[in-house]
Amino acid sequence: MIKDMFKKVINPSTAKEESEVNIPEGLWKKCNKCGQPIYTDDVKKNFYICPKCDGYFRIHAKRRIKMVTDLGSFKEWQDEPVIHNPLNFPGYEKKLEEVREKTGLSEAILIGKAAIEEHPVVIGVCDARFLMGSMGESVGEKITAAVERATKEGLPVILFACSGGARMQEGIISLMQMAKTSAALKRHSKAGLLYVSVLTDPTTGGVTASFAMLGDIILAEPGALIGFAGPRVIEQTIGQKLPEGFQRSEFLLEHGFIDRIVEREELREELGKILGLHEKKDYREILANSEENKKRFESPNRPSEMTPWEKVELSRKTDRPTACDYIYRIFDDFIELHGDRYFGDDGAVVGGIARFAGIPVTVIGQQKGRNTKDNIRCNFGMPSPEGYRKALRLMQEAEKFHRPVICFVDTPGAFCGIGAEERGQGEAIARNLYEMSDLKVPVLTVVIGEGGSGGALALAVSDEVWMLENAIYSILSPEGFASILWKDSKRAGEAAKVMKITAVDLLKLKVIEKIIKEETPANQSNIEGLSEKLKGDIREFLANYMNLEIEELLAHRYNRFRRM
Amino acid sequence: MFNKILIANRGEIAIRIIRACREMGIKTVAVYSEADADALHTLLADEAICIGPAPASESYLNMERILTATAVMKADAIHPGFGFLSENSKFVEMCEKCSISFIGPSAEIISCMGNKAQARKTMMEAGIPVTPGSKEPVCDISEARAAAKEIGYPVMIKAALGGGGKGMRISYSDEDFDTNFFTAQRETILAFCDNTMYIEKYIQSPRHVEIQILADKYGNVIHLGERDCSIQKNHQKLIEESPCNAISEDLRKRMGETAVKAAKAAGYENAGTIEFLLDQDLNYYFMEMNTRIQVEHPVTEMVTELDLIKAQIKIAAGERLGMTQEDIRINGHAIECRINARMAGTITNLHVPGGKGVRVDTAIYNGYKIPPNYDSMLLKLIVHDEDRELAIAKLKSALGELIIEGVDTNIDSQYDIICHEAFAKGEITTHFIPTYFELTKE
Repeated sequence: MIKDMFKKVINPSTAKEESEVNIPEGLWKKCNKCGQPIYTDDVKKNFYICPKCDGYFRIHAKRRIKMVTDLGSFKEWQDEPVIHNPLNFPGYEKKLEEVREKTGLSEAILIGKAAIEEHPVVIGVCDARFLMGSMGESVGEKITAAVERATKEGLPVILFACSGGARMQEGIISLMQMAKTSAALKRHSKAGLLYVSVLTDPTTGGVTASFAMLGDIILAEPGALIGFAGPRVIEQTIGQKLPEGFQRSEFLLEHGFIDRIVEREELREELGKILGLHEKKDYREILANSEENKKRFESPNRPSEMTPWEKVELSRKTDRPTACDYIYRIFDDFIELHGDRYFGDDGAVVGGIARFAGIPVTVIGQQKGRNTKDNIRCNFGMPSPEGYRKALRLMQEAEKFHRPVICFVDTPGAFCGIGAEERGQGEAIARNLYEMSDLKVPVLTVVIGEGGSGGALALAVSDEVWMLENAIYSILSPEGFASILWKDSKRAGEAAKVMKITAVDLLKLKVIEKIIKEETPANQSNIEGLSEKLKGDIREFLANYMNLEIEELLAHRYNRFRRM
Repeated sequence: MFNKILIANRGEIAIRIIRACREMGIKTVAVYSEADADALHTLLADEAICIGPAPASESYLNMERILTATAVMKADAIHPGFGFLSENSKFVEMCEKCSISFIGPSAEIISCMGNKAQARKTMMEAGIPVTPGSKEPVCDISEARAAAKEIGYPVMIKAALGGGGKGMRISYSDEDFDTNFFTAQRETILAFCDNTMYIEKYIQSPRHVEIQILADKYGNVIHLGERDCSIQKNHQKLIEESPCNAISEDLRKRMGETAVKAAKAAGYENAGTIEFLLDQDLNYYFMEMNTRIQVEHPVTEMVTELDLIKAQIKIAAGERLGMTQEDIRINGHAIECRINARMAGTITNLHVPGGKGVRVDTAIYNGYKIPPNYDSMLLKLIVHDEDRELAIAKLKSALGELIIEGVDTNIDSQYDIICHEAFAKGEITTHFIPTYFELTKE
C-alpha cells in the first residue's frame, strides 16, 4: 500500500509535547429524543428545540413565561407557601422542601398576570421539575383562585399544562382539585370570558381530565404526549403494543380533541392573535359609521340562457372556487380551528375565527378538493357527523363571544357510509337545525357551488341565505331524484329542470334572499372580483343584523322557516 | 508554531495542506468518511481518523465529530480548506470555545461577510464602491419592485445568504420581475431557509476579478494582485488566471489598495479574497468577500512565488507577515484549469503532464475509486510562463498531455475553451461560456 511508502518528514526540533484540547463541559448536550450531540447554544437560541430532530425539550415555567409574554409584563400572584399533607404521607413534607429548594418554585405552577402582544391576560404555567408538575391542593388552589380573580376582573385565562396528573401523595384531596378547577372554569366561561389551554409534553391523568381539556380553544405543541391513562399503563392492561404516535398531539388533532398544533416559536404571536380576536368591544360602531355600506351591487334578475342541467355541471366543476378560496380573500387573520371534541376532525368542513372589516367573526365552510389528494382529505366535500359537530361547536363558541357566523355551503350531500351512520349522521344534522334556529348571533349562509340536501341545510338555518348565480340548492341530486321517481338516473337533466334548483328559481320560491351575480362562471381568474362583491354584501348584512335585538333576530329567523 | 494540524477537508485541497505541513515539519491528522478510506489525503497524513458515513452532513460537515476528532488526536489547530466548514461561523465559534486554533478569520468576521447585505453595508461605510442596489435587504415583492425601479433595469435579484448561483435571477423589466423574484426567493427558502433578498444593478458583460489579500493579527494587510475568474458556467469557475489582461499597473494598484482598505475595514485576519465586478469601462464594484483559501489560489502563488497555505498557518500561529506591499512582485502569467468528473467511477489510467512551470494539484491516482458523494473536481492544472501567450501555449500542451481514463471528464471542453480565438485575444467576460459555448454540453 502506498501509505507505508510515504516517508515521514516530521521535524524533530519543532515536535513538542502533544497538546491537550479541552472541550468545555456542557458545550454539547445529548438530545434525549434523537440521541445526537447538540450544541447547547443552538438549543437556547432555538426555543429549546433540538436542531437535529426538531424534538421539543420541556421548558421551565419562568422561561416559558418569558417566551410568550411581553417583556417585563409578568407579575406573579403569590400566596403564602403552605404545606398540605392531608394523608400525613411519610416523607412528603421533606420532599416538598427539597424540591422548593432545588427549583426555587413554591409549587408546581407559576401563575400571575401578564400581557401578550399588549393584551392583558392571566397566565399559569406548570413546571415539570416540581414533582412532575402534579396537581395537589396547592396547585388546585392557585389555579382556582387565579381563575376566580380573572372572572372578577374580566380577564382571559391561559394555562400551560405540563403535568403527570393528580399528585399521589395527597390522595383523594388531589382528585378533588380536578372538580374544583373545572368548576371555577365553568364560572369563568359563564361570564363570557376566554380560556385558552396550551398542552405541552406531558399532559396526562387528572390534569388532562380537568382543566387542560376545557379550553374554549385548545392548542398543543408538536409531539407532546397527551392522554388520560399513561401509555405504559394501557400497554400493560390490554397486553398490546401501542402504535407509533399514539397519544401525541398529532393523534389528538386527528381525533378532534385539540384545535391546533402550534410550533413553539409561533406561540406568542398566535396567542396574541387569539386574544385580539376575543377583545370585548362594541363592533357595531365600525359598521354604522362606515361609508363602505353605500357600496351596493346589483342582484341580477335576468333570465339565464343556461339550462338547469348546465348549471348543475357548472356548480360541480373542479376549477370552481372552493370555500377556502373565498375565506382567505374575504376575511383577515383567519385561524382555523379543528375537531369536534368527540371523535375526529372532518376535512370536509373548514372552520375558524377571523376578522371581517375588523370585526371578529366565525367562518365555516364545506370544502371540496381540486385534486385527488385534496379530495381524500376533504372527502369530496361530503361531511361526516364530526364535521357537523365541529361546525356546531364553533357556532356555539361564536354565540358565547357574540361573533356573527358566516357559512359557505358547497357539498354534494352529507357523506353516506357505515361510519357516518354509526356515529349518527342524521342526529348530527338534526342537532344543527335545532341549535342554529336559536343561535343568538347573526348567521349568514352563502351557497357557492352545490347545496346538496340535508348536508347543506345543516349549515343553512340562517337569517339569510344567498346563492351564487350558478350555484344549485336542492332536496337531493338530480340523479338521485330521477332514480327515485323514474327509476332512471340518466334522466337527471330532465329532473334538474323540474326540481327548481337554480338561484333564480329559489329566489322566486323565497327560499333564498339574494343572488350573487357571476359575470362569467366563477373560476380562479374572476374570484377576486366575486370576493370583493361578496365583501360589500356581507358588510351590509352585518350592518343590518348586528343592530337587531336578540329577540327580533331570533323571531326573524324563526319566521323565515315558519312561513315555508 | 503548531505541533499538529487537523485538516477538516478532503480531495486535492487536503493534499495541498498536508504537503505544506510536511514541508514545515508539522504533524498532520486527516479526517475521512467511510467512503474515503482509500482517499489520498487519508493515506498521506501522519494520522487519520474516520468521522462517519459517506454523506458530508454526517462526516465532513459534522462539527461535533470533527472537534471530537481534534481532541482525541490532540491536534492544536484545524485547517478547514474550502467548502465544507470553511465559512461556518458557528464552527469557528466552537473552535474558539475549545481553544483550538482555526486557521482562518474569526467567527465574527465570517458571519459578517457571509451575509451579503451586511457585507455590502460594511463596505459602503468604508467607502468601497459597491454595485448600486437596495440599501436594505428586501423580503416583500412590493418593496423589491420599488427597489428595482429606483435602481433601473436590468437588475440582479440575489439571496442575502446566497452562493453558487442559487437564489439568483436577472430581471430585464418590470414585466418579468415578479416571476424572477418569486423563483429566486423560492430557491433561497429551499436552500438557506431564509427569504431575505437583495436587489442590485445588473452589470452587463463584466469581468469577475478578485484580489487576494493577506492580513496578520497585528493589522498588517497586503494584497497579492488579482485573479480573473470570468470563465464561468452557471456561476461555477472553470478557468482562472493572474494577472488579468484588462488591468493596467495603475488600476491594479488602485484595486489592490481598495481591497486592503476593505480588509482593514472588516478587521480582517488571515488569507481572504475580495471579489469585484469590473465593467467595460473599467469601473469596479465590490461583490463579496471570501473568508477562506480559494480553489484558484495557485495562480497567485505562481506569479508571486509565495506559498499561501504556509502563510495562512504562520498567521494563525501568530507570526507577523514579514513583508510589505513593496516586496510583492507579479512575475509572468499563470493560468489554472479545473478538471471535473462528469460521473463517479474508477480511474483506470492516469498520466499527468510535467516540466517547467507546470503544476498539478490533485488527489487522484491510478486505481482510485471516485465516490459519488462529493464535489466533482478531480484535478487542477496550473501553468506559469513569462507572458499570457506563452502561458496559453503551455496550457494547451500540458492539457493535451493530460490523460484520465475510467471516468468522463471535461478535459476536451476545457481544451476547446483555451483554443478559442476570443480567449487567445483576452476578450473574456462572465458571458464567455454562454456566448461561445451555449450549445456544448459542459
